[in-house]
Amino acid sequence: MSLCVHCDEKILIPVFNDFDQNQTEAFCCFGCMTVFNVINSKGLEKYYEIKKQSAIFKRRSPAESKYQQFSYLDNSEFLSDYSYEDLASHKTMEFYLEGIHCLACLWLIEKLPEYLDDVLICRLDMQRSVATVSLKSEGQFSNIARELNNLGYKPHPLKRNQNINNLKKHEERKMLLKIGIAGAAAGNIMLYAVSIYAGAEGKFAETFNLLTVLFALPVLFYSATPFYSNAWNAIKNKTLSIDIPISMALIMGALSGFYNLFIGVHENFFDSLTALVFLLLLSRYFLNKIQEEGLTANDLNFFYEGNSIQKQVDDTFIEIHPHFLKIDDVIKVSSNEMIPADGIIVQGSSLINNSLLTGESRPVNVTTQDHVFSGTINLANPLLIKVEKIKDDSRIGKILKQIENGWIQKSPIVDLTNKISKYFVAAVFMLAVILFLNLYLQGKTKTALDRAFTLLIVTCPCALALATPLTLTRTLSRASRIGIIIKNNEVIEKLASINTVFLDKTGTLTYGILKVDSFNILSKSRLPIYEIISSLEKYSNHPVATALKEFSLEKNATLVHNVKNYQEIMGSGVSGEINNHFYEIKNGKIFEDNICVAEFSLLDHLRADTNEAVTSLKNLGLNVKMLSGDHQSVALPIAKLAGINDENVFFEITPENKLAMIEKNAHTLMVGDGANDAMALSRAFVSVAVLGSLDISLKAADIYLTTPGISHVANLITISKETMKVVKRNLVLSLIYNSFSVYAAFTGMISPLVAAIIMPLSSLTVLTSTIIGTKKLNAYLKMGAH
Amino acid sequence: MEVITLLLPLAILLALLFIIGFIWMTVKGQYDDLETPAMRMLIDEQNINPKGNIITNKEKS
Repeated sequence: MSLCVHCDEKILIPVFNDFDQNQTEAFCCFGCMTVFNVINSKGLEKYYEIKKQSAIFKRRSPAESKYQQFSYLDNSEFLSDYSYEDLASHKTMEFYLEGIHCLACLWLIEKLPEYLDDVLICRLDMQRSVATVSLKSEGQFSNIARELNNLGYKPHPLKRNQNINNLKKHEERKMLLKIGIAGAAAGNIMLYAVSIYAGAEGKFAETFNLLTVLFALPVLFYSATPFYSNAWNAIKNKTLSIDIPISMALIMGALSGFYNLFIGVHENFFDSLTALVFLLLLSRYFLNKIQEEGLTANDLNFFYEGNSIQKQVDDTFIEIHPHFLKIDDVIKVSSNEMIPADGIIVQGSSLINNSLLTGESRPVNVTTQDHVFSGTINLANPLLIKVEKIKDDSRIGKILKQIENGWIQKSPIVDLTNKISKYFVAAVFMLAVILFLNLYLQGKTKTALDRAFTLLIVTCPCALALATPLTLTRTLSRASRIGIIIKNNEVIEKLASINTVFLDKTGTLTYGILKVDSFNILSKSRLPIYEIISSLEKYSNHPVATALKEFSLEKNATLVHNVKNYQEIMGSGVSGEINNHFYEIKNGKIFEDNICVAEFSLLDHLRADTNEAVTSLKNLGLNVKMLSGDHQSVALPIAKLAGINDENVFFEITPENKLAMIEKNAHTLMVGDGANDAMALSRAFVSVAVLGSLDISLKAADIYLTTPGISHVANLITISKETMKVVKRNLVLSLIYNSFSVYAAFTGMISPLVAAIIMPLSSLTVLTSTIIGTKKLNAYLKMGAH
Repeated sequence: MEVITLLLPLAILLALLFIIGFIWMTVKGQYDDLETPAMRMLIDEQNINPKGNIITNKEKS
């Protein structure tokens, strides 16, 4: 099978340029061909060269070529909301671009000023897929958006939310500063500490000790502040946090260090403590970074702000941005477009795919005076719709609101590390008191105080606090490499304790589109039956027609005959004359001169890998259940094919019922895609949104699969179980080290020098254990990827 | 060992200079996007003339 020249997708039915006589450059679709031609006509062929060399390569999806004017971008009202002036006071706007995937995209987009006169500067942030475009004084944003769209990167203008963006940027910079300062201070302190350990005496020891204290100050009072505030919050909310013992060790270490400086003892724990602060901040920073990668697309409220809308003004249509849609506007929704608001049809009749909203797989006929809902897709003919409800008032908006509320209600779990920290703190405190009292009663007050302090410092659970973020970071980054995006690291721990999996049907287990299920030829027709189908259905956009066309193409019916008197009867079928014979396709039958020559039935097919995926879930000892909004007659056969028993199938379930079922069971994993699943996704113990999900489901779910189908769900559970094994092993290791330090503190063996050896050693052990553990995971993931 | 009275302040000064440099760069936003610049430098510089054809550096000079 050949691959598309533009997007590297496997090609079912190749498309070629007219001028490409030898058919050397095959495309998967007209969209990709158009983009390829645009790129070539601008002399940007190097794109493909760079793409080939690019090491970082996310697979891009076939280009969608939908012509849009983007004229709303030049509207002054719109500009005042969305554009801003950069430092040199050029008009600037940010666009989120779909389909950014590699180095070649970066090259192509940043070349914009060289082939488009409107653009002054164009910078792309690949992590966020956001392009910042500054205009020349006479330039227009619509030209830029059109060009980007032509190149296959669908642009979405981003509202300049100065506050949130700046705040985030500010936070990140502050975090980096803290890490950098801690690192620099720890490095310098180490130099002086080593000299002291090596036996510096007199003036030197005094100076070096003073220097370590001075360098420790910014770490203690600036870099370590996140630990103090986390610990304080945990105490205030009466929850647990590993930051409590860490802060305690830092404070004790600081007190003893200052005291020693004051009484002239040249000893302190600052070398170990500052290195610890540096490493901990670093590991948390990486974990945050990798989580944010999965969040970028999630930040954007695509659903309302997706496509431009054709609004009727007098007798013409103008393009507006969804942001400016108002009640009582009359809008035009063409075929295969999503309806952007709840409304009533004022003109036209068509078919609507409700599957994202209700889970029904069969399209519904609609006509004038019927109500339609936002989030559904118009399949056949253009409709004029009078808008009745927008945004939060629309049916989907209400679901979205409920999700946001549910999001807040969902209480965060206390993870294993923090849970252990409770016993840890209690045990360490008790031991410190015992140690103190024991020596105090013997009359050695000074030694007693000294050793109790030391105990509290050296039992700082640094390895413990370091290991978990590191393990999770490695797991998250590996998962994202095979297309599993985990938005929240807590779910790894939750996933390991899942016992029931609820699967949505339409779009999750199935393709979500109709396909020919059975086809019986009853009598021989004059023309090959598949040619009749491809000729008659050629102009129809009806899902049945699409299914039949694809079916006949699979049967290699390439010959298309001329059809006279072609008619499409809404909700019934098509008819026409070929070679003076009358043909009709309706209600699952094909007629030739009113004689039925063939019968067919259509079904939303099960994905190829569903059955295997369900089996592997069962093999993991999980209860697999199916929730569907569809009718019994559709749901049961699909479930049977997927390998789910009838008693585990729930059909004709409303979104509210789905939610109720999820809430009845603890430890559930919900897998879904549509708006009808969104509420259940938001409240499930763990939730997964599959590829092709509606934006609100992506928002509601904890995990997002970027590969089609559910084959990765079982992998996901295995990954999390493996990860938790590594986490637990690390906990045991670091507790062993801690017991040793407790023993050392009791016997008085410990000094800053011993601590400076034990602490890095324990961290190192845990890091090694993590790397070995996640290596195994790596091998497993490689297997899972194929 | 007397040389240390000179070297020590110098070492500290050097360390402080680097720290100040780091703070300055961070505040100026040099570390905001760590991914794109790393890739940007991999692309050979080429320019496109107004006709839309690529001119390489060699032709330009």
